[in-house]
Amino acid sequence: MSKDKATYVRFSLTQRIEHLVMLLSFTTLALTGLPQKYPLARISLALMQFLGGVENARAIHHIAATVLMFSTIFHLLSVGYKVFVLRLPMTMLPSLQDVRDAWQMFLYNLGLRKSRPQMGRYTFEEKFEYWALVWGLLIMGLTGFLMWNPITSARVLPGEFIPAAKAAHGAEAVLAVLAVLIWHMYGVHLRRFNKSMWTGKLTEEEMLEEHPLELADIKAGVKSQRPDPTTLRRRQRWYFPIAALLSVVLLAAVYGFVSYEETAITTVAPPPMEQVPVFVPQTPTPLPLPTATPTATPGPAAALTWESYVGPLLQLRCGTCHGATAMGGLSYLTYEDALKGGENGPVILPGDAVNSRIVIVMSAGGHYGQLSLEELSQLEEWINDGAPEK
Amino acid sequence: MKRFLLTLGFFLLIFVGLLYVAPVSAASPPQSNDTCLFCHSQEGFTVELPGGETLLLTIDKSAFEEGVHGSNQLACVDCHTDITGFPHPERTYQTLREVSMHYYVSCQKCHSEQYQLTLDSVHQRALAAGNTNAAICTDCHNPHYQHRLTDPESGAVTPTARVNIPKTCARCHSLIYGEYKESVHGSALTDGNPDVPTCIDCHGVHNVRGPQEGNFAFHNLTPQLCARCHTDASIMDKYGISTQILDTYVADFHGTTVVLFEKIAPDQPTNKPVCTDCHGVHSIKRTDDPQYGIAMKDNLLTTCRRCHPDATADFPDAWMRHYIPSPDRYPVVYYVNLFYKILIPLVIGGMAIFVLTDAIRRLMDRRKGAAHS
Repeated sequence: MSKDKATYVRFSLTQRIEHLVMLLSFTTLALTGLPQKYPLARISLALMQFLGGVENARAIHHIAATVLMFSTIFHLLSVGYKVFVLRLPMTMLPSLQDVRDAWQMFLYNLGLRKSRPQMGRYTFEEKFEYWALVWGLLIMGLTGFLMWNPITSARVLPGEFIPAAKAAHGAEAVLAVLAVLIWHMYGVHLRRFNKSMWTGKLTEEEMLEEHPLELADIKAGVKSQRPDPTTLRRRQRWYFPIAALLSVVLLAAVYGFVSYEETAITTVAPPPMEQVPVFVPQTPTPLPLPTATPTATPGPAAALTWESYVGPLLQLRCGTCHGATAMGGLSYLTYEDALKGGENGPVILPGDAVNSRIVIVMSAGGHYGQLSLEELSQLEEWINDGAPEK
Repeated sequence: MKRFLLTLGFFLLIFVGLLYVAPVSAASPPQSNDTCLFCHSQEGFTVELPGGETLLLTIDKSAFEEGVHGSNQLACVDCHTDITGFPHPERTYQTLREVSMHYYVSCQKCHSEQYQLTLDSVHQRALAAGNTNAAICTDCHNPHYQHRLTDPESGAVTPTARVNIPKTCARCHSLIYGEYKESVHGSALTDGNPDVPTCIDCHGVHNVRGPQEGNFAFHNLTPQLCARCHTDASIMDKYGISTQILDTYVADFHGTTVVLFEKIAPDQPTNKPVCTDCHGVHSIKRTDDPQYGIAMKDNLLTTCRRCHPDATADFPDAWMRHYIPSPDRYPVVYYVNLFYKILIPLVIGGMAIFVLTDAIRRLMDRRKGAAHS
């Protein structure tokens, strides 16, 4: 029973907070990033819809990336503190022993070995995950910078590095997500639900199973001691200023990272490529005008006759209908036709303008091809004169 | 009695009236075209409208009869429905436009399908907003002399008609036509090439869509529009043009954004370019055109700078120009992809094998342990 009750501190509170921040930012980055890698997938679209569009998703992605950068800086400084001030053993460093452990574990799993390898503070599985994360952060940070600041990057690097960065960023994301889903899920959730990242503690039984060498060290009292207060203070005195300086430098770098470049105009569409006015009608083709436009002016000196005036006048004004087409049988093409009249009888009664049908119709108005008053009076005069041909 | 007589008289009047009217209307059936052409075939038959314009009243009889309406025995009065004889009813037209506006409604009697489409057009919307310059049926189709535009069997626009489409639009959009006819598409059309798009292939016919109608749907859907032809190998192979242009565009940062954007906010402006933002709209040139082609490094840089004013000479290389990376073109990208193509299966496969063997072993151990106890 005592084995179950006894617990051993595995992760400090700050480590657990670091893990939580990492968990949240990593998930956010994956959910906002992967839909951009697979824009045509239905689930990408659903996610984008949920996030309020690709521009929003990018903003969230950038925020999560910034949070992760802060978290990384904090991690670097706290590792520095442990290494340089507390002088704790660097148990996370990979070694040949890890390769051997992995190999032996594999052989055991295949039934080619009688027992599992005995491992210490960090198993090869945990180290693999940690260093995979370090690699991932480096790649994502570098390629992320190139994509975040493409113009600046292209000043120093070949332009081709930007699509290459995009390719690496996307592929690395897939690798990271799959690794978490397989390695991390299995290692700490499926195989045994390891709650130490939340509670901070492992039971003795769990310690015995997963970290027997560390447990042995603890029991033997070999577990490294905290340095004495004077040494601690001495070391802190030089570490803190350096750490502060480093923080300022790194934070400035992050600030530069996220704000150095505005790659494109932010909200408006690209300027229109074409700026010609839309409605510019062509000059219309001129209409075919009447072929002949005889100006029928009364010859004041000449005698008022069919040939000198009335014939051309009637052909011009009335010829459309009462010309060759002889609408109603009436034609003014020749003097004879004109005097003959139409289907309803003669329209010109020589000597009697008032009773001539042409004068009656023209005086009433409303007939197509109306004569002007002056023309009408000339016509009347001609009829009253006896409607001479020549 | 008085009332009876009145009623009788009334009916008698109507009867006589009918007797009188009936034979008249029977005697003048729908006016034959010859009746109209009697006058209207005269050359130079014009009338001056109060607005100062001249309305041509002459109809070229033989041209009319060769046209699609004439050859289908349409009567003048089928469209000029308000004219039943002579003299014609009095007119109040001030301008030529008013004449067209008066008569174009006749078209929908036979062409209702097309008319319905026009109701959803940029022209109709402009018209509804009071712009009488907006095109109506008769601005594009000459009702008197129009020849068939489509093949009666296939329904496809005839090659001759296709070549004439831009010239038709040019009547109002002359400057755009000027750009188009110098473009790679327009100049090929003029040479009789049937593969290139005319105006209606992008803007639609009857339900003509414009790019600037208060939203950006037309702009945002441009890639799909261009892709209709540019992903069709049966057309592109003839000219040695890649059919990967859409895929490569979508794979790129700009294209990814536009695709996602278009699906979620189809009518909102996106700040990422579509095809026309780089290649031009009506004035699209060959990309290797020595003067204007955007494959020319300087031209590409100028194009990039429209949105990225600070871009330097190397920046355009960030755009892979619709190429799929290969050892020859964009090798860095190619090898990055290759690296991950190997690394991912290797790492994930290794993990899977390890996890699987570990899980199986643990299950076996547990069963064994249970059996022992």
